[in-house]
Amino acid sequence: MTDDHSTDPGRNGAAPVVLVRSVQVAFGGLLALRGIDLDAAQGERLAILGPNGAGKTTLFNVIAGDITPTGGSVAIKGVDCTRLPSRRRPRLGVARTYQKARTFEGLTVADNIYLALAGHRRRHRVPWRTAADRALRAEAEGVAESVWLGDHIETDAGELAHGQKRQLELGMAIATEPDVLMLDEPASGLSRGEREHLVDLLEALPEKVTVLLIEHDMEVAFRIADRVVVMADGETVTAGTPEAVRSDPRVHEIYLGSEAETS
Amino acid sequence: MRTGSSMLNWRAASLALAVVVLAALPTVASAFFINFVMTQTLMMGLAAATIVFLAKYGGMVSLAQFLFFGVAGFMYGNAALEVGSRGLNLGLPPWTAVGFALIVTTVAAFLLGALASRTTGLYYLMLTMVYAVIGYFVFAQVTEISGPSGITSIERPDELAAPVSLYYTALALSVLAYIGFRALGRTAFGLALQGVRDDPVRMASLGFNVPLHRTLAFTLGGFVAGLGGLVNVWWNGQIDPASIGIGPTLVLLIIAVIGGVSYFEGAWLGAFVYVAMFTYLRDLPLVDRIGITEARFNTVIGVVVLLIMVLSPQGLAGIADRFRRRLSDRRRPVAETSDRSEGASHRAQSIDK
Repeated sequence: MTDDHSTDPGRNGAAPVVLVRSVQVAFGGLLALRGIDLDAAQGERLAILGPNGAGKTTLFNVIAGDITPTGGSVAIKGVDCTRLPSRRRPRLGVARTYQKARTFEGLTVADNIYLALAGHRRRHRVPWRTAADRALRAEAEGVAESVWLGDHIETDAGELAHGQKRQLELGMAIATEPDVLMLDEPASGLSRGEREHLVDLLEALPEKVTVLLIEHDMEVAFRIADRVVVMADGETVTAGTPEAVRSDPRVHEIYLGSEAETS
Repeated sequence: MRTGSSMLNWRAASLALAVVVLAALPTVASAFFINFVMTQTLMMGLAAATIVFLAKYGGMVSLAQFLFFGVAGFMYGNAALEVGSRGLNLGLPPWTAVGFALIVTTVAAFLLGALASRTTGLYYLMLTMVYAVIGYFVFAQVTEISGPSGITSIERPDELAAPVSLYYTALALSVLAYIGFRALGRTAFGLALQGVRDDPVRMASLGFNVPLHRTLAFTLGGFVAGLGGLVNVWWNGQIDPASIGIGPTLVLLIIAVIGGVSYFEGAWLGAFVYVAMFTYLRDLPLVDRIGITEARFNTVIGVVVLLIMVLSPQGLAGIADRFRRRLSDRRRPVAETSDRSEGASHRAQSIDK
C-alpha cells in the first residue's frame, strides 16, 4: 500500500495520514464512488470540491466509517480501517462534522461538548459524577468559548441559530483533539460574519492537524486549503494547489456547467 | 443558570415535602388507603418510572417493563417456597431469594436489551411487546417455573410482616429510584444516553458504543422494575401469568402516559390516578345508575386518558409544570425590573460620589 503514495506524495514526503485507495461505493445500481484515490499528509489542509452528487460526502462517510465501501481500502495513520465501525475511528484520531449539523438538540451546549470529551476520554459509561467530570466540564466550557459560544453554554443545542450549531459541531470535533478533522460544508448557511469566524477558527487549529474540507464556498475553501481536489461523478478530476485548480479549464467546465444545470 | 438553580430548589423542596407527607400518611390515613391504594400506587409508579426513564433519556418506549416486574415476582416465588405443587421450590432464605430474583431479572433484561438494542422507534415498541407476550407464554406453559395458575402462598420476609412495612418499602424504593434516575441524567452515562436518543449516528462518530449503551440502560430499567415486582409479589402473596399479560402491560404504559412520559414524578401521579379510579369509582353515588358498572371501568379510564391526552400531551405532570412555569413567568419580569432599578440607583449613587 505504501508504494502507492509515490503517485501523490504527502507533504515533506511523510507517509500519508489518510490513505484512500481505489474506493468504490455502489448504492444499488448507482456508483457513487468509482475507484477514488486520496492522500492527505499530516498537517495538510485539503479542500474537496465538486458539484452536488460528485460523491464528496460519500467519500467522507467512507473515511469516517459511516459507510463500508464496496471496494478499495482506507487507512488512517497506517492502520487499515476499511471495515472498522465508525465508533472505533475516533481512537485513530478522526473527528468529523456533518453536512446538516448534527448536535444533541435536547442537551445544552456545554453537555454537547462534554459528551464529545467524555467519548474521547472513554468516560462515557461512568454512572456517577466524579472530580474528573468537573475537570471535563471546565474543559468543555473552555472549548465552547473557543468557538465563540461562551455566552450560550447553558442554551439547549436545539435552540441555537444555524450558524451557532455549526460552531458547536466544530467545537465538538475540536474537543477530541483530532489528528484528522473532516468538515462537511462548514460554511453553508453561514452569514458573511460567521464565515469570517469560521476561517479564523480553522486557521487557528494546531498545525499538525490534517483537515479535510468539503466546501462550496470557494473563498473559504481557497483561503484554508494547501491543496484542492476536484471531484465529479465519483471520480477525481484534478488535484493541485488552489492556484493551479482555479485556472484549470476542466474545473470551470465541470463545476460551473453543473452549477448552471442545478440552478 | 439562574432559572436552572431555582428550578432545582423548587424540585428539592417539593420532593422533601412529598416525602414527609407520604412518610407521615399512615398516622392519619386509613389502613385501607395506605395498604391498598398507596402501596399499589408506589409499586406501579416504580415500574412506570422505568418506562419514563427509558423513554425520556433513551428515546426507547418499552413495553417489556411489566415483564421484568413479573419475572422478579415469579423468581422470588420459585426461590423462596420450600414446598408447593408448582415452581422450582428452591427453599432459599427470603433475602437470598430476593438476590436470586433480582439477578435473574437483571440478566434477562440484559439479554433482551442487547437483542433490541439495534432497533428504534416503533420497532422497539413492537419488539418489547413481543417480549411481553413471549414472557406471558413462558410462564403460562412452562409448569416447572409457574404454569397457568401461577405460584401461590408466597410469604414475604419476616422483617416485612406488618402490612405498613410494605408501604414504607415501596416508598423508600420509589424515592431512591426517583432521585437516582434524576441524578443519573447528569452523569456521563445519563448524558450519553440522551445523546443516543438525540442522534445515535453522531454518538457513534464520537466513539460511543450505541447498542451497548442502550442495552445497559434497558438492564437498569429491568432491574428497577424488578424491585417493584418484588413488592408486588409480597403484597399479593401470589403471582400468575395473567397478571403480566398484554392487558396489564398496556396498563403500565397508560399509567406512564397519564402521568406524563417525560416526567419522573408523572409515573407515580399516573399510578395514583389509575389505582384511585379503579378503587373508588364504584363508590361514587349514582355511578351504577348511569351505566358505569365494574365491567365498564376500563371504558371510563379510556375516556379519562383521552381527556388528559387532549388537554395535555405531557400528561398530568405536564399540566402541573405548565402551571408552575406560568406562575414563575408572572413573577420574573417584576423581579428583573426591580433588579434593574436597583442597579440604576446604584449607578446614580456612584456618579454622585
